[in-house]
Amino acid sequence: MRDPAVWLTDDDPSVAELEDRAYELRSKLLHLCGTYEGAVHIGGDLSAADIFTALFHHGLNVDPHDISNPRRDRFVLSKGHAAVCMYIAMSMRGFFSYDGIVDTYGQLDSAYGMHPCKVQLPGVEASTGSLGHGLPLAVGMALSARHRGEQHRVVCLLGDGETGEGSVWEAAMAARSNELGNLVAFVDRNRQLMTSFAEERVVFEPYPDKWRAFGWDVVQVDGHDMGQLVGAIDALPATDSDRPTVVICETVKGKGVDFMEHNLAWHAGSLGAADLERAMAALAASRKKETV
Amino acid sequence: MPVTFTFGEMLSARSVIGTTLAELGETHDNLWVLTPDIGATLVEFRDKYPDRFLDVGLAEQACVGIAAGLAYDGNIPVVSGMLPFLSMRALEQIRSDVCYPNLPVKIIGTHGGLVGNGGSTHYAVEDLALMCALTNMTVTSVGDPAMVGEVIRQSMTMAGPLYIRLAVGKKDKVLYAEGEHDIRIGKGIVARQGTDATIFTHGTTVAQALDAADELAKDGRSVRVVDMFTLKPIDAELIAQCAEETHGRFVVLEDHLAYGGLASRIADVVADRGIHLSAFERLGIPQVYAGFGEDEQLRDKHGYGLAATVAATRRAIAQPAWPTSH
Repeated sequence: MRDPAVWLTDDDPSVAELEDRAYELRSKLLHLCGTYEGAVHIGGDLSAADIFTALFHHGLNVDPHDISNPRRDRFVLSKGHAAVCMYIAMSMRGFFSYDGIVDTYGQLDSAYGMHPCKVQLPGVEASTGSLGHGLPLAVGMALSARHRGEQHRVVCLLGDGETGEGSVWEAAMAARSNELGNLVAFVDRNRQLMTSFAEERVVFEPYPDKWRAFGWDVVQVDGHDMGQLVGAIDALPATDSDRPTVVICETVKGKGVDFMEHNLAWHAGSLGAADLERAMAALAASRKKETV
Repeated sequence: MPVTFTFGEMLSARSVIGTTLAELGETHDNLWVLTPDIGATLVEFRDKYPDRFLDVGLAEQACVGIAAGLAYDGNIPVVSGMLPFLSMRALEQIRSDVCYPNLPVKIIGTHGGLVGNGGSTHYAVEDLALMCALTNMTVTSVGDPAMVGEVIRQSMTMAGPLYIRLAVGKKDKVLYAEGEHDIRIGKGIVARQGTDATIFTHGTTVAQALDAADELAKDGRSVRVVDMFTLKPIDAELIAQCAEETHGRFVVLEDHLAYGGLASRIADVVADRGIHLSAFERLGIPQVYAGFGEDEQLRDKHGYGLAATVAATRRAIAQPAWPTSH
């Protein structure tokens, strides 16, 4: 049996509260994007913001005050370029200080860099950044949990673009071969690579069938519908089941800021003062539109 | 249970790996063995600890990544396979997933050098250059099969990653009697004493260097042989000492590219420390794709066989010793 007792007792937000937190996460992301002078991978941060919120504020049994507890769920960020979104989502869960992130991001000796480093930032589970590396790491962690009879889950977040890497499918095959039902992959299916749209140069479809063909259980959700994300998390199989699950989250790169959505230019960038204001207004407007 | 063997006999390094891992599996319940379909000699471990053995099939990248994931969780993973593939196809996993977070993953494999008649796809000739470039990586190349077990045993307490290079490992000459040398990772072994020149070597060519020294002894030449089985960190003290004690006459012999391996490691120490040499002979693989043939034939063809080693050492000895040359 999983043991949720120690984890989220003080904080079990409703779907509406999670939506508020996702909005706050996006606002904080934009604020950082308007503060930091270098490029932020804002497109893929915004596409994954709801997934991060659902995981760190609902799905993952993690405790910011006990980051080495062997029973904690493990989260591996395979799309390492979304590190800042993870840092902020984790800061909102009590792991780090948001001010600390904004004040030092990307600066000399900061623990908060473009891609996460476990050595420099304890609380992060793995050093990632090069695409296609996260799922093999997660498979190793899931195997270790199995061997020790631990009931926690290992969750890996991938971008759809990075599933072009062969190592992802090597790991997918290993996960099925070893019956790792304690492993869950979330795919941020934003249908954009850095320089092209999915299907334009790389054919991903039939995408869910690719995972099915590798023996994974496939769940498909709207990655911006918090109710669906929470539902998918709550319906995950028991960790002692024998099939890994992939939750394919349909998302929009740049989600929430109209001029960034579906826009290849906003894979990464920085916001000047006027554009920050424009982005914040767009974010507020998008929320209004959705709540109507 | 340790393997029984006697000095001078042939022993399989691969079977030593299997036996040693099976032995260590007993005392280390966090020891895992992983392989990309090269597990034939690991059956002992596999049969004893099936739940800590993982054959991922032909998937080197995932194999190393999974090992890193296991290590993150406090395990000691040993990845065993063929080095041309592990060292290159999984190089980025070794670098970014293992070395960057400094995880105790051991990479151990065969086919280092022009061995096994597989052709250039199956010869790891640049692996030591690649591995020595990686921050946090400890790099070894072991010739004596019995030593392999000792290196693996010592590695159990290492915090970071380790690379162990073998030749083919099917039939290797036992070079050292048990207890003859203090085997410590990071320390070179003076396999034979001598004063006229030093041959530095590692792995499969240690035996050849000893044969060359025997040959030269017939002419009354006293040649030192150093088994520099740890390339990184390099035993700089021993290099300096050999320069002092063997007239600054160095020969470096290796079954690896002549540039990028041990010779380059030693040249770095020589340059950094301002060591004066009177001779520096490099014997190794030139920039060619070597073709097929038996190991010895290939070494002869490419200029680093026994005869070439003897000739190069004679050339070195013919050089006037410093400081008289200055």
